[in-house]
Amino acid sequence: MSEFNPHSLDEDEFLEEVHSVDFWFHAVDGYLRDRTYGRIEGASHPDLDDTDRDNLITTLCNYCIGETAALEASSGLISIAPNRHSKIFLATQVVDEARHLEVFLRRLRDLGVEDPESEISVRANPHLVAFKDRLMELVAGHDWDAAVFAQNVVLETMEYTAFRAHMSTADPATAEVLDGVVKDERRHLGFGENDLGRRLMAMPEKRQRLAEIRRELDNLVLATFEEVQDSLGADRSRRVDLGSEYLDAIERLGLT
Amino acid sequence: MPDSDEPGMIANRIEKVRAKREAGSERRHFELDDRGFNEVPKKWRKFYRHWEGDGDTLGPNEIICPVCKVVIRSVKELRPGDRLYCMPCMSRLLVVEADDGTLTTEVVY
Amino acid sequence: MADFLSQYSIQRWLEMCPQGYLEDTVYGHSPELKEPDIVVDNELLREESIRTTVQLVVGERCALAASSGLVNAAPDFPSKRFLATQTLDEARHVEICTRRLFDLGVKEEDLESTIDDFVNPNLVKFAEVLLEKVSDGDFIAGVVGQNIVLEGMAFSVFEMLEAVSKQGNPKFAETLSGTIADERRHVGFGENRIGSLIREHPERKADVEKMQAEMTYHMLATFSDSFRGNRAAVEETRAIAVAEGAEADTAEWHGTDLASASPEDMEAVLADTVLGEFKTRLNRIGLEYQSPPVPA
Ligand SMILES: [Fe+2]
Ligand SMILES: [Fe+2]
Ligand SMILES: [Fe+2]
Ligand SMILES: [Fe+2]
Ligand SMILES: [Zn+2]
Repeated sequence: MSEFNPHSLDEDEFLEEVHSVDFWFHAVDGYLRDRTYGRIEGASHPDLDDTDRDNLITTLCNYCIGETAALEASSGLISIAPNRHSKIFLATQVVDEARHLEVFLRRLRDLGVEDPESEISVRANPHLVAFKDRLMELVAGHDWDAAVFAQNVVLETMEYTAFRAHMSTADPATAEVLDGVVKDERRHLGFGENDLGRRLMAMPEKRQRLAEIRRELDNLVLATFEEVQDSLGADRSRRVDLGSEYLDAIERLGLT
Repeated sequence: MPDSDEPGMIANRIEKVRAKREAGSERRHFELDDRGFNEVPKKWRKFYRHWEGDGDTLGPNEIICPVCKVVIRSVKELRPGDRLYCMPCMSRLLVVEADDGTLTTEVVY
Repeated sequence: MADFLSQYSIQRWLEMCPQGYLEDTVYGHSPELKEPDIVVDNELLREESIRTTVQLVVGERCALAASSGLVNAAPDFPSKRFLATQTLDEARHVEICTRRLFDLGVKEEDLESTIDDFVNPNLVKFAEVLLEKVSDGDFIAGVVGQNIVLEGMAFSVFEMLEAVSKQGNPKFAETLSGTIADERRHVGFGENRIGSLIREHPERKADVEKMQAEMTYHMLATFSDSFRGNRAAVEETRAIAVAEGAEADTAEWHGTDLASASPEDMEAVLADTVLGEFKTRLNRIGLEYQSPPVPA
């Protein structure tokens, strides 16, 4: 029998443990210590051909928009978070999102993009931009439930699926960067689903409104990720079903 | 999972599955080894591993987290009613028996 | 600007903090250290420690709300990224100060009521002035209020507390020294980033200076309350040390021996140090220090 067994913690102890900065420090240490800007040090990788490179740039530009949305929304949510665990968790998410933006911008520079900011605005997917605007509106309206739903469930579940799918076909350098991002995302989507799940359990009447918001956001996000897959040139028969993990989460939350 | 709306109901179900569990035979114990899962602090690492895709199988002490798809491991053979925590995604889970008799999990928010 | 901001990458921050000076700490201190028995067992000292720590929690909560609130208002990615790291630093400070309250025997369910009971109302007003600027999305005022005024104050308070605790309470001193290391980055960012913005927007000076005077007023009132209230605890600590035959400690800080100074002298050296810091820092970024009316 081992001294530490997570499964024998009290519920309160468990929540205190996983929502702490201390937990975050030791968690990210496991997979980020040997990396610089998300890349394994000293690893060198072959150059991409022009089409692949251009497709990848479009994809990364849109990832940057998603990460900026998450950075601005998660920081904006801290002051309206209902309790200290959520505030502290969100602070760790803020750094995660800033790091994601940083490593994707780095990767764009590696690919020869000199001014990522302007490249991003040129290649922006209008659906994603609309999603970001809507998310920021929910945050500005201090709408905790809807904003956490939009960010941590809708956006991040989609990202989680899309990033993992992309990882399996990406060039090694991009795959390394995505690997660290995916590991962070696990915390974010888990936080969102569990926080909302608890709140919906206590206040089931909130479900209806969230289901409406879901219908509004679904189209934007699904369209975005469909187009991202197009830009990666994945052929239709081999592409992952982006919606399925997302729909599972929606069903668990009773928002169908 | 609309039937778990009321907190009382989940408690009832936990009671039921626990009773069933206690009636069962001796459970096997497992020595856990570090399987290279590096996304939680060191002391918790051996309780989790990645699913390795086709060809991978779950041991009697293992189950997949429905939220983040990581394999959660226990020192005991799993039975319905067991409570597990997924640290990588911070979910609290309850082991339940599916209609086909296999074990699965529900998220207890 | 780009050059100085590039040293504030998340990558660099990871190497410096979690993988640097905070490595092997648990909630900011070596795992084997705990609050000394005398602080936990002596009711007077325990209460005074709770009171002090509550002010720290409130200050850090204000910094957490301000730094996260400013991410959105920041005009460029490097500033957003820096503020993201500051957000996590502040959350960590909130966490370790809250932990200390638990270590001092405050029950989890009594946390908020304990904070309400002990918080200094002047400190709350101080925080409100800043948070109003943040919620208006006023980046320049927000950064001056947070990274120069609030943190300039916190920096000196932490240093003073660290000097006082070093011998008697190594656990608390360690959490403070990690916090001071973080604060160094925060005050550095404030000066460096805002200097150029003030030059670009001289029309904002008057407004920002007015905020600084208001915040300074509430800060001095907070100091005055705190030192007036802690006389008994200071005397008790010293009496215990004498009774135990401990060698007389000295804790020299800015020319004052904190181990023997009167509360009035401690207040004076702290206020003098903080105001001196304000003046030099504000001066460097092109603002003029405004003295507040002296609080009653
Ligand atoms: Fe992200
Ligand atoms: Fe995320
Ligand atoms: Fe702080
Ligand atoms: Fe700070
Ligand atoms: Zn999980």
